[in-house]
Amino acid sequence: MNWLLDLFRRNSHERCLDSELRFHLEQQTRDNIAAGMNPEVARRQAAIDLGGLEQIKEECRDTRRGAWLGYLSQDLRFGLRMLRKSPTFTTIAVLTLALGVGANTAIFSIVNAVLLRSLPYRDPDRLVRIFFNEPGVGLRDVKFSKPELDDLQTRAGVFEDATPIAEGSEILTGAEKPERVEGVNGSFSYFSMLGVIPQIGRLYGPQDFTPGFAPEAVISDSLWRRAYGADPNVLGRTIWIDNDPLTIIGVLPRGFRHPGPTVSGDAEVFGAAGFSADPFPQPIRGNRVLKNGIGRLKPGVTREQAQARLTAMAAQLRHDFPTDYPPQAQWTIEIQPLQDTLVGNVRPMLLVLLGAAILIVFIVSLNIANLLLARASGRQQEMALRLALGASRGRMVRQMLTESMLLSLIGGAAGIATAVGTFSFILRFVPPGVPRLNEVRIDWVVLAFALLISILTGLVFGLAPALNSTKGALSPALREGGRGSGSGTKTGRMRDVLIVSELAFAVVLMVGAGLLLRTLGNLLQENPGFNPTQVVTANMQLATRNDPKTDPYLNIPRRATFDRELLRRMKAIPGVELAAITSALPATNSNPNAVGGLANESLAIEDRPVESSQDLHAERIRISPDYFKVLQSALLRGRSFTEGDEDGKPLVAIIDESTAHRFWPTRDPLGRRVRFGRDPTKPWATVVGIVKDIKSDGLDIDGVPHIYVSTYQDSSKRLSLVLRTSLPATLLEPQIRNEIQSIDPGLPVFNVSSMNEVLDRSLASRRFSANLVGGFAGLAVLLASIGIYGLLAYMVGQRSREIGIRMALGAQRDDILRMFLRKGVALAGVGIVAGLVFSASTASMLGSLLYGVRPHDPAVFLIVPLLLFTIAVLASYLPARRATKVNPMIALREG
Amino acid sequence: MLILKVVAMGPIHGYAISKRIAQISKDMLRIQQGSLYPALHRLENRKWLAADWREAESGREAKFYTLTPAGKKQLEVEELDWERLSTAIGLVLRTVL
Repeated sequence: MNWLLDLFRRNSHERCLDSELRFHLEQQTRDNIAAGMNPEVARRQAAIDLGGLEQIKEECRDTRRGAWLGYLSQDLRFGLRMLRKSPTFTTIAVLTLALGVGANTAIFSIVNAVLLRSLPYRDPDRLVRIFFNEPGVGLRDVKFSKPELDDLQTRAGVFEDATPIAEGSEILTGAEKPERVEGVNGSFSYFSMLGVIPQIGRLYGPQDFTPGFAPEAVISDSLWRRAYGADPNVLGRTIWIDNDPLTIIGVLPRGFRHPGPTVSGDAEVFGAAGFSADPFPQPIRGNRVLKNGIGRLKPGVTREQAQARLTAMAAQLRHDFPTDYPPQAQWTIEIQPLQDTLVGNVRPMLLVLLGAAILIVFIVSLNIANLLLARASGRQQEMALRLALGASRGRMVRQMLTESMLLSLIGGAAGIATAVGTFSFILRFVPPGVPRLNEVRIDWVVLAFALLISILTGLVFGLAPALNSTKGALSPALREGGRGSGSGTKTGRMRDVLIVSELAFAVVLMVGAGLLLRTLGNLLQENPGFNPTQVVTANMQLATRNDPKTDPYLNIPRRATFDRELLRRMKAIPGVELAAITSALPATNSNPNAVGGLANESLAIEDRPVESSQDLHAERIRISPDYFKVLQSALLRGRSFTEGDEDGKPLVAIIDESTAHRFWPTRDPLGRRVRFGRDPTKPWATVVGIVKDIKSDGLDIDGVPHIYVSTYQDSSKRLSLVLRTSLPATLLEPQIRNEIQSIDPGLPVFNVSSMNEVLDRSLASRRFSANLVGGFAGLAVLLASIGIYGLLAYMVGQRSREIGIRMALGAQRDDILRMFLRKGVALAGVGIVAGLVFSASTASMLGSLLYGVRPHDPAVFLIVPLLLFTIAVLASYLPARRATKVNPMIALREG
Repeated sequence: MLILKVVAMGPIHGYAISKRIAQISKDMLRIQQGSLYPALHRLENRKWLAADWREAESGREAKFYTLTPAGKKQLEVEELDWERLSTAIGLVLRTVL
């Protein structure tokens, strides 16, 4: 490697080169003298003939291989020296860069895990989520029955396998206190379909098949470590789930995660069932109890082909079984890539956040470009000197770029380090509703992205000043000596463009932040339809035994007895004024993962023909008599439920205003009768009361019709307690737990919190994105105002002589002030207008994230420019005022 | 190629090369003196020329260039190429005229 050696032999090379050229000059001079010139002229002529000595040397050096390496190390050393020489500039640049790159790294790591990386299963592209829809009555994702599952597995012919998924909370007993764990029940091919290999033991297979629930369980790595201390002899031990003893047959690998929604956290217990015997209802088409379906397409079958086949099959089934599939429902089957359904509505939020992060790093780099340009004009003399001393322009550009690259890489490294260092801290702020969060990590894709961002920013902010610095003509720059009377117009123009684009991007970020913050504000002020203060809530769940005969909570009378005892004990707790039970806590339903989440249910109304029942569906919420009193929600008409509305008495229902308007727009709903489901043999329920709307599905969801029924007549195993009390939730929690477990020691109590916390949590992801984008916008404004301030301050410094002349010629201080203010205002004006145009064309991308605000909200589009304009005027006022303080005498003398 | 040819005549230093080229080509080809040295260094890097320091006729140390075997081969190749090219051009010119 000669050229490497060359690097070390550079000194001797330099000496040789020098003496070789000097020899040439001496010879030439001698010959010239011999030709009759006088010595002075002879030397001069020789030098002219040869050309620039240093340029030639530089060219000779260029011919050496590996020269670039030498240059690089030279440039790097020089760059480092330059950065050390101006610590303020370096600190600002590195800090802002670290912030920009760090934000990008963090957000991209989430985007990468959630949106980009494919699911961690075998051939994830062939995994689909299966939906059953009834578009005719406006229902999506309805439940399905065992015969329909069989159709998918055999008749459809497009699936290698398909399984229903029953996700939910289960009760793990046997430890010191009952614990709620996440459970998943699938068919016996669930694991083979996903392609999972157990850590120890085995997974389910066809040999385990039973028509009901299998007496075995597979547990997750986390549960294995938590509950069994990672004991390798865990196989064969008994785990109590919902009071049923199950035998542990296998432990899943560490990274495995169930590909579907869970109530909170990851699924830890995996059961399997045949779905055709107790506790499942008789396997007929009308008994639709299965919820989610996941399928694996056969190899070679495209999604479009499969969809076409399924649509055709659904039509055939509708034709073959007209009683099970009423024609007006238009029952059909739909498939979607599993990854898409997992990500769902998180995609727009993440993309907006990534966009904001990229904008901020753009603004950061524009800002640094600006600072560099200011420095570059200060370094014009240095550059001119370098050119005169033989530096080629390419070499100069390269050196400037090396400097900026060095800066951007230092900033980028700082950013990545920040992101890595604060990673777990940042993740805590990410709303838990984001799927696949456990897969978020900083891997090489994320690092490559961060590196790319750093290099790009380095190029963006380095190229402009680099090209600019080598342009200027030599001699004027040398002569001016950096104290010129005015700055070069080219530099000036470029800096103007930078400031204007910086402002424009700031406007975009501010408009986005404004819209998101207004949405959040609207939601915080949204009237939930009840009084959430001084209400404490708790969630609980009754176990479902696999054998119905042993289930203490099997039927409604048994559950009603439990409910009454529960309420009696709750009201007896000192400080609790009122207590009630509901199957759905307000503001939790919009999240399908929430406890008690309810799907829309189809509905029949008496005296109304089924054929006209377009869009007849409502949410059923089961409540105890005092529910509306606890929430202090107004009963508009009729009556509330009473203790007498129990099993065996006529069914009653209470509706809310939305329901009343939708189903009985012209008639009095009181006394009308409704019925859930399509079974015509079931009894009607009479509407006895109307309440004000309660935001049951989330603060941002309006107008879903709700029908309340008495929990003593119709109850479920998931329930929530609402208590009106002046005591805080933390104080009440042990007493609530104690009372519940003295009824049944096997019942877990979870999420004890105040109603305000529940409402607050429902806004977590909106708060997260609004705050983040808001923070970015604030940073953008700060950077933009620094930019304007810096530009004008620099101009004032450069033009102090001109100001002196103007003042000497009679210009008033106001004139000077106005002159600089006008410059700042003009820049701000152009930037803001450009930004507004840009925002107006992109704001609709935010559409799905907004509530109560239109994407072109006039208030936001008015306040943002005014605010930014005020800041810009302020930022230009300070340097402009300094301009008026210029003492003409001093300025002129110095000039 | 010109430089190689000149150096082929024996060890010679840079200044003499520039003189020689000017002289031989009867000032028709005036190589910019400044570009001579980068060219020399390039040839040296390609191992077509070797260089050593000797005493010049003036008594000063000077860098003398000599042709290496590789350089000789390169010169032959280039001479051949040049002959072929100039013959071809000559032929074309003669035929056309």
